[in-house]
Amino acid sequence: MIVTVTGLTVEVEGRTLVDRVSLRIRPGTVTALVGASGSGKTTTGLALLGEYPPGARVTGDVAVHGTRIGYVPQHPAAVLNPARRTGALLLDLARQQVRDLPRSQRRTAARLRVTAALADAQLDDAEEVLSRYPHQLSGGQQQRVVLAQALLLGARVVIADEPTTGQDALTKRRIVDQLAQVAGRGIAVLLLSHDLDVVRELADEVVVLRGGRVVEQGPGHRILDAPAHPWTKELLAEPRALPYADPEHAGAEILTVSGLTARHRTGGARVPVLSVDRLTLRSGECLAVVGRSGSGKTTLARCLAGLHRDHTGQILLDGEPLPRSLRDRSREQLAAVQYVFQDARAAFDEHRPVLDQVARTAVRLHGAGSQEATAEARRVLTDLGLDDSLVRRLPGRLSGGELQRAALARALLARPRVLVCDEITSGLDPVTRRSLLDLLATLVRRKDGPGVVLITHDLDTAAPATRVAVLDGGEVVEEGPAEQILTAPRHPFTVSLLGASDRWGAAVRP
Amino acid sequence: MKRLRRYGPGVAVAAIPLGLALVGPFLVGEPPARAASFTLGGGHRLGTDFVGRDVVHQVLLGGRPVVLVALAATALAYLVALPIGLISALTHRRWLEEVLMRPPDVLLAVPSLLMILLVAAAFPPGAAGLALLVAFVSIPDAARIVRAAAAEAASRPAVEALRMQGESWWRLAVGYVGRSILRTLAADAGIRLTGVLYLVATAAFLGIGVAPDAADWAVMVDRNRTGLLIQPWAVVVPALLIVALTMGANLLVDAAMESRGPSRKGRRP
Repeated sequence: MIVTVTGLTVEVEGRTLVDRVSLRIRPGTVTALVGASGSGKTTTGLALLGEYPPGARVTGDVAVHGTRIGYVPQHPAAVLNPARRTGALLLDLARQQVRDLPRSQRRTAARLRVTAALADAQLDDAEEVLSRYPHQLSGGQQQRVVLAQALLLGARVVIADEPTTGQDALTKRRIVDQLAQVAGRGIAVLLLSHDLDVVRELADEVVVLRGGRVVEQGPGHRILDAPAHPWTKELLAEPRALPYADPEHAGAEILTVSGLTARHRTGGARVPVLSVDRLTLRSGECLAVVGRSGSGKTTLARCLAGLHRDHTGQILLDGEPLPRSLRDRSREQLAAVQYVFQDARAAFDEHRPVLDQVARTAVRLHGAGSQEATAEARRVLTDLGLDDSLVRRLPGRLSGGELQRAALARALLARPRVLVCDEITSGLDPVTRRSLLDLLATLVRRKDGPGVVLITHDLDTAAPATRVAVLDGGEVVEEGPAEQILTAPRHPFTVSLLGASDRWGAAVRP
Repeated sequence: MKRLRRYGPGVAVAAIPLGLALVGPFLVGEPPARAASFTLGGGHRLGTDFVGRDVVHQVLLGGRPVVLVALAATALAYLVALPIGLISALTHRRWLEEVLMRPPDVLLAVPSLLMILLVAAAFPPGAAGLALLVAFVSIPDAARIVRAAAAEAASRPAVEALRMQGESWWRLAVGYVGRSILRTLAADAGIRLTGVLYLVATAAFLGIGVAPDAADWAVMVDRNRTGLLIQPWAVVVPALLIVALTMGANLLVDAAMESRGPSRKGRRP
């Protein structure tokens, strides 16, 4: 036993974040803490490091036996010094450990240690990675650099906080393989995740948390294949199978993208990152745009919404061209195309109550009076399952899922014809994600409901859409009815994307 | 109680010079009769200055020009720097940003004291003129800070979400961006006030914008230093008052920052 936690309780201002949690971690195994967001996964994980939220009252015992503990946060870039190359970051740590060697040998010894740590962290293209700055690395590489830092310091226990959240199927696959190999080298991994496919693949031991309490605990296969507790069953429920939109319902073409080329400014040059020949959206249908990160999905969404100005080609709304920048769009045009952001928390002003912010849409875009707007906002929010006392609070007091609903409400108040949803379910746990997508479906199925462009990397989320467009390297490689794309893909990239998520049991269920 | 402990030190330190500067001129009566230069005692509690005037009387009168000019100059600098910084952070028009930010950059290249000396040599200013001049040389720094802080806030999704709602520029710039950068600006204002006080005091010390025998803390420090070893109070008291003002202002800003910042870390088990 390398880590033993007994009866850990963490309270902040009378709220119990973690309630009598006990767990044991053995070397070379993967222990998964599973649960919805806010269930106390991260708090428990950080407790192993001796870190607690501000003003926490802690009881219980955390015993770590003779090792350091490494922590790989969800956003690894935040813990890497952006001003220094990766090599320098790692060598600094290594140099501390070779101080007692003669001066002439230190350099080589430090290099050897770095190479060993990189190998342990499964970074193959080591030379390349070492010469780059953290921001030049992909998210997955940053994760492994942080992991290498921890291993270099002699950590034999590594906490991986949501390592696969927001990653596409292929990247996810790689992360899972790498974590398995890390565990194979005798390092204990504590996996904090709500991604059950990853947990199923990796975990030897699963602890299911709800509201800070352990509801079920045991060997991975038993918990996941034969859950005893109803909450675990709910977590494990199949993703939505019913289509979002009613196929009978699809109306006229509302949005047409033709000959679009979008560029990004890198250094001084403007590099084309996306080119779309033709893409259409009908009213009352749901178009899913899938692809890996960096494939141009978000750029496409931002072009539609007028948030990315640097593009040529046309975006037609009901046959009328839309101005490229939303600053040049009229109120009607702004209202017609609304955008829901991936990170709902960052998309709200933290200083104003949610209700006020949502109501502003009606004031600005439909000229409603402030009373009238508030009443309408309240109605829409209640409709989406957010009660009045909740939405009077500041955004900081709402959970991620609740904020995403509020963001949806904010867009809906504009009565949009096209609703662009950019990865709105990534970062949400399965239960919250399912309810948000069900909500989206009821919206689309309404009479004169909006046409939805659903940007996602998650094939389970894309499967119930009416049509699917697959993006790779900034080009639409395949587009058609969801069922056809996901069961009989023609393009090799689609095949590989499907294969990546197929191989680990979570087959796409069209 | 908590509040008292937080703001207490700052208030205590800043209150004396501020109070003296603002209320002092109303407290003084007729100037006492002149005595010999640099004497102690003889009815003069802090002795006499270089021309034999009562030091207490001079201290009471001498705060107003320094403090008012410094406060006015800081406020004026921000009045111009805020719109410049906010507009250039929020615009997507490169040329507008260039037009707004380049001239202050040129100004930044000239040492501010040199600038003040040059302008003052050409057009000898009064107190108001000095405030304007000091504000003018402080604008570039302040504008840069505002722009840098605002540029970060302006690139957040919240701003795009507000644009998506069709919010006005005013709401975006002042309601969201301005509010988000308040902490940075408050910290900067504290430092800026110190810098401005330094400039104003130096200018007065060099005789710019004030008469050579004016009742002014900075002038007092300059004129009376010849007698420092015979009669130290005439230098020490005004000097300490200037130091107390900058220290107090910064303590207050720090305390205000702390009250909005995160609380302490939790305990270990």
